[in-house]
Amino acid sequence: MTAMAPATSMVVQARTKRNGQRYLRPPGALPESEFVSRCIHCGQCGEVCPNRCINYFGFENGLTSLDTPYITPREKACILCMKCGEVCPSGAIQPVRRTIPAITEGVRMGRAQVDKQLCLSYQGKTCGVCYRACPLPDLALRVGMLEQPEVLDACVGCGLCERSCIQMPQAIRIIPAHTQTGEVL
Amino acid sequence: MVLVFALLIILPFFHVYQTYVAAHAYDLLAPGERKLYDIIETLTAPFVDDPSRDLDVIKGNTWSGRLFGVKMSDPLAVAGQMAAGRNVYNPFLLTALFPVVATLIFGRFFCGWLCPANFLYELNTNLRILLGRFGVRTGRRCLDPKLKYIVLGVGLLICGISGSVLVAAVYPPAILGRELYYAIAQRGMGVGALFFVATVLFDLLVARRGFCRYLCPGGALYSLLGRFRVLRIQRNVVTCNDCTKCNSVCEFGLNPLRDDFGQECNNCTACIAVCPVDALGFRWRITDTPNQGPGHESPRYRRDHKDKRQVFGNANSKA
Repeated sequence: MTAMAPATSMVVQARTKRNGQRYLRPPGALPESEFVSRCIHCGQCGEVCPNRCINYFGFENGLTSLDTPYITPREKACILCMKCGEVCPSGAIQPVRRTIPAITEGVRMGRAQVDKQLCLSYQGKTCGVCYRACPLPDLALRVGMLEQPEVLDACVGCGLCERSCIQMPQAIRIIPAHTQTGEVL
Repeated sequence: MVLVFALLIILPFFHVYQTYVAAHAYDLLAPGERKLYDIIETLTAPFVDDPSRDLDVIKGNTWSGRLFGVKMSDPLAVAGQMAAGRNVYNPFLLTALFPVVATLIFGRFFCGWLCPANFLYELNTNLRILLGRFGVRTGRRCLDPKLKYIVLGVGLLICGISGSVLVAAVYPPAILGRELYYAIAQRGMGVGALFFVATVLFDLLVARRGFCRYLCPGGALYSLLGRFRVLRIQRNVVTCNDCTKCNSVCEFGLNPLRDDFGQECNNCTACIAVCPVDALGFRWRITDTPNQGPGHESPRYRRDHKDKRQVFGNANSKA
């Protein structure tokens, strides 16, 4: 069975590339390929997460991602408590201190993107919920006239804005760092 | 072993409870709940003042975990990570230091004393005996114990090729720790649980303790590390009476009766416990004694040495 694994992984990966699930790695995680090779699938990051936002992959993201942690920001977003980096034994999630400079420097989960067609504030109905939810207000997210949100460079992609967006579907989304493209998946 | 298994069940519940308390705020808990939380807090983290870290002192599982603030990992986790990442991350290497040193001294003790899967596999052996009483035939095939070193090699190779620590997916203690956590605190068991059930069926239908004896990659690594272990079980040939109980009780199919322990022995002391004449015991030695022949209290030895042994006198009636 073990001899079949490389072939299976290619098949599974090909299939999941088509599925294209959008997910974030925990805060402080290394770049995707390096993260996958570092993670030992021990599950401690999820066990220590006070917000219980960390889930674990089955086969849906390919064999190499089996039992690795991920966050779906619309379901439950990261509150940047930084405990997962502290508990991670293998440094797949790097320890980051819980201060604003350390977080903006060391965390790169993704970046928020506003869909102006969906956003209430851009449609003239003052909202500002995402701004209120942002843990780094005015650093990562700024609001202008009618509380229209604008994402700034310090955004780390925790997903609290996406989680809190009152539109359905959400008007603000995190583009994960590992997808690289600006396309909304 | 039972304790480790119980911890693996309790810790996820702690985690769920901790987040529950965090969500409801400690100050708003009912008095009874607050007492429960205080008890858990005193038991697990007596020296921690920071409320946001109250129950964080014992976390994780035997694959990798934190025991009173000290991070420890399975040597296989480190080996798998080194193969997958093709680099060495020193802080992670250090977490395996204590297990490796302990294995160099006590041999493959993890398998016999800590492995949570071993607990279930031993229950499975009891089930096999029970089934045998009802006349159900169970598998008794013997494979080559060297097979597991091939599994270890191929496993690490696959880690290297895929760039992911996939060996964690075929290592029962890691699976068990993870799946119990998934079942209690996450969305339910995953693929690993199926794999574990498959190993239990393999043990039952193909070979007694087959996975540990012939296939486990972690057991293989521990065996290699424990090859020159310092603490060994040895047979005292003078008191041994060749009753063969030690051989039949040995979960790993070794041959204590003929002094053949080798690197596979995990010092589980089952043979010491079963020996009716206390002929087996621990010794501080680096190698096994070569075969010492039949025990001096055995019928065969007595027959061969009848003329030389006059101490016990009435030899005929005993033989």
